[in-house]
Amino acid sequence: MNEEELFRKYRETHDVALRNQIVEKYLYIAAVLAKKFVGRGVEYDDLYQVASLALIKGVDRFDERKGLRFSTFITPTITGEIKNYFRDRSRLVHLPRKVSELRVSIKHASEAFFAEQGRKPTAKELAQQLGVSEEEVLRATDAGGVVSLDVSVDREGEGMSLHDVLPADGDIFEKVEDRDALEAALRTLTRQERELIKCRFGQELSQMETAKKLGVSQMNVSRMERRVLQKLRETMKKAMVE
Amino acid sequence: MKEYFVLRTPLKREMMTAVRLATGGVCSSAGMSYDGGEDCKVCVTESLLLLMHRGFEAASVRFYTCEEGGIRVCVTADAGEGTQSLSEEDEIALALLNALATDVSLDTSEGGLSSIAVVFGPQA
Repeated sequence: MNEEELFRKYRETHDVALRNQIVEKYLYIAAVLAKKFVGRGVEYDDLYQVASLALIKGVDRFDERKGLRFSTFITPTITGEIKNYFRDRSRLVHLPRKVSELRVSIKHASEAFFAEQGRKPTAKELAQQLGVSEEEVLRATDAGGVVSLDVSVDREGEGMSLHDVLPADGDIFEKVEDRDALEAALRTLTRQERELIKCRFGQELSQMETAKKLGVSQMNVSRMERRVLQKLRETMKKAMVE
Repeated sequence: MKEYFVLRTPLKREMMTAVRLATGGVCSSAGMSYDGGEDCKVCVTESLLLLMHRGFEAASVRFYTCEEGGIRVCVTADAGEGTQSLSEEDEIALALLNALATDVSLDTSEGGLSSIAVVFGPQA
């Protein structure tokens, strides 16, 4: 069966076995693209997994009647997913407080649930118990790789927590200087740019929530944020040199 | 458009790290974001590899600053003959360039691909 026939048959039947056959046939594209992004701080295996998932989703969305080759269609789809993955990972550096708090609540609720039921809870069960949406639970658990400040630093799980052994806040004068420099840099921004900073880093809204508030698309927020942060960095760097 | 930096390299795999490092430096000094610079590195190396697969032996990479912001990078074969046709994997590389750059233009006037230009806009 050629490419067009394969996809036509899958579109008509939605046969999972056929979908798997298509995915296997094009899995090399996921491998090729994942390799291109190695070296940006993410392991190849993780990139390959992201790319493979994008491939599976892409198979469902592809319409062979539009006359496009599947490889041409799927490459930007996979690339987009990989870039989103990088973006989401970099957001971990600035993990919103409410997500951190939710992660702690999830951990405690999971342990209590396990003690009571003898099995791990589903995201839905956790959401019901914590009074948040299922998506929030999933998003918070996805934001992995973050260590709780309450975690014990010794093997026995007793004694000092990570919070206890972290160095104290830096020099207070340094903080004041940083604050002054930041305030000066913020004054160089436009009203909309300042609003974006307020939403994203003050109110800790997601890009999507910020987009709604500013009346622009999420993509616009993403681009604007990158530009504004770059601008702030440059202004502050210049101020430090002067 | 102003020429900013020019690099000439033999089309050999072992040169790609040097090219990537130089590209990263140019992108950084042009004020591009980290992600934009990484995307540009991918585009430049993919463009060079495409020309290498065609059979060319050397290429020049020219970086230009655009008046409206951002950079334009032209990768042009300048030694050897490009007699090979592109494989399916090369087609994926071309689609990748289109996915990463703001604009991509290909010069195929001399009987096949011999030059690739990618533009990264001011947002990159």
